[in-house]
Amino acid sequence: MLPQQLANGLFLGAVYALFAVGYTLVFGVLDILNLAHAAIYMAAAFLTLALVGHGWPLWLAFIAGIAAGGVMGVLLDRIAFAPLRKRRAGPLAPLISSIAMAIIIQSIAQGAFGIDEQRFPDSVLAVQNFHFGGVIFTLLDVGTLGTAIALMLILSYVLRATALGRGIRAVAEDRVAAALLGIDIERTIAYTFFIASALGAAAGILAGLQFNSLSVDMGGRIELKGLAVIILGGMGSVTGAVIGGFLLGAVETLSVAYISSSFRDAIAFGVMFLILVLKPTGIFGRKALRAA
Amino acid sequence: MRAQSLIALTLAAGMLCAGPAAGANGPAAGKTVKIGVIADVTGGAGVYGTSQKNAFLLAQDDMARGAIDTRGAKIEFDIEDPATDPNQVVNLVQKFVSDGTVLQIGPTLSSEAQKADPIAVSAGLPVLGTSNTAQGITAMGRCVFRDSLSEEQVVPFTVRRTLQKWHYKTAAVIYGDDDQFTKTDYDIFKDVLSREHITVVDTETYHKKDVDFQAQLTKIAQKKPDVLVLGALAQEAAKIMVQARKLGIKAPIMGGNGLNSPALNKLAGSAANGTVVGAAWFIDNGYTGNKQFVANYKKRFGVAPDQFAAQAYAAAQLVAQVVGAGATTRSEICTALRTLRVANTVIGPIAFESTRDVKGAPVILELGPNGFGYFK
Repeated sequence: MLPQQLANGLFLGAVYALFAVGYTLVFGVLDILNLAHAAIYMAAAFLTLALVGHGWPLWLAFIAGIAAGGVMGVLLDRIAFAPLRKRRAGPLAPLISSIAMAIIIQSIAQGAFGIDEQRFPDSVLAVQNFHFGGVIFTLLDVGTLGTAIALMLILSYVLRATALGRGIRAVAEDRVAAALLGIDIERTIAYTFFIASALGAAAGILAGLQFNSLSVDMGGRIELKGLAVIILGGMGSVTGAVIGGFLLGAVETLSVAYISSSFRDAIAFGVMFLILVLKPTGIFGRKALRAA
Repeated sequence: MRAQSLIALTLAAGMLCAGPAAGANGPAAGKTVKIGVIADVTGGAGVYGTSQKNAFLLAQDDMARGAIDTRGAKIEFDIEDPATDPNQVVNLVQKFVSDGTVLQIGPTLSSEAQKADPIAVSAGLPVLGTSNTAQGITAMGRCVFRDSLSEEQVVPFTVRRTLQKWHYKTAAVIYGDDDQFTKTDYDIFKDVLSREHITVVDTETYHKKDVDFQAQLTKIAQKKPDVLVLGALAQEAAKIMVQARKLGIKAPIMGGNGLNSPALNKLAGSAANGTVVGAAWFIDNGYTGNKQFVANYKKRFGVAPDQFAAQAYAAAQLVAQVVGAGATTRSEICTALRTLRVANTVIGPIAFESTRDVKGAPVILELGPNGFGYFK
């Protein structure tokens, strides 16, 4: 049973990690919590579903959904965060504006897609089962895990080895110094939002596919968990978010396997609390993105 | 040509008279009563509430054209959708309490009824549930009725019938522990299984709106139960079935009323095949008006009615009978329902026990590729 449960946790954790990576990236660069991240997660999933409904192949709709998520992120920054940044608002004002944007996005989605649960047509999903080492999984499970890991590796490469990545890290370190070095701050922030929201969008689409269930409140299910994951990983730490995401998936699954399904969330959050008691700054502190 | 027109005219005139004339002599003739219907047309329980709304729309038309005899009384259904939100349910009951409504029908879910019915009870507004099957619903007040068979009435039948065919010794149970209805299902199944000496090898829970049940199901798969019992509503049940089959659980699945929805076929596909549920109504029965009800419903809404539609339509037939017989105020309707001898409806001839639960016998159904049929 253990290998299957670990696999269950891995498939579940992949989506948590991918969601949390984008969440923490914005925090690392701007020191703000973007509470509309979960709304983009949901909106991108529905957009992809709509494109598939119009006959697009899944892979193309997936890419379009991610790109649309990224664009939504840039717009979100322009509308909700940039005006506050210009007026040097404190860290709480953006929190409120991102909540407002989340509500607006959710209302629009509700108007467009209704509040009932929706599903991808069975024809686009690979339901073929595979057995390997006592573990049963579908192509979709592996695809979700593989895509999530690939996207996180690409992000890691971009942050470490490209001019854009160096710019993002410089802005995260010290915005004024970065500006003095000739880095275009607003453009770098826009790129950060694009990347972070595209990753959140990918997480939403994969979550929708994985359990074949989309609803306008699906963001609510992951929002709190995502927040817990990035605090656990260390605010602003991309590596921490990845590890935190997989850890949460594993703890949730194993608590059902060995303790009780009724206490799954209580145990998961209890474990995270314990880790934070031992290491209050989270697993990777808060300098990690800057060092990335 | 002229002769034909004359015949048509005579026929039309005859039909015009025939409808109202059949019952124009009732004591409530000419009076109008307003019935408040709370049906979750959208949200999590939308699958059930839509059926209920459709049934009342159909019943309203059937009353207008005389197919349901109101003996000249005019019955207006005010159908409202609380979108599966308990707060909106409470708001609607408060509206009905103060706007002259004489009977509340609904709400859709037992968990909503737990919040809503006490408000109606304290205002003296009688309640007729058409889909509340959890324990304790009618105990909330002396004027709270239901025409849906309770799970206590159905589950023992389901277990005994499946035992006869499957001869199982062990079972695993998975249920939603944060919903009144699914929790009740679990409690009843647990009692009945233990009475029948079936060993429950594993009991798992989930929360409303969960989408991932694989951790629980992996655990169940390892225990290799002979049957899998679900205390779940259609949305979650469908996902549980798909994920259970994926994880190699081949045990037959049985459940309570929440599984009794044709939507299961659509949501779970072949994973739902062979699922057995106890139910209050079967589409091909021969009770009063059932054939016409099924045909008219299909014609108007493009889909076959389900049990929830049938129980809602039966409630309309019931209301027509008591209002037609002269009950037009809240207290008169309560008394009329309490003393009802029998009402012929699409779910069979019904009356109420002293507990205000409906008297009736369940049918045991099996889901096949083409929908539900009798479990043989």
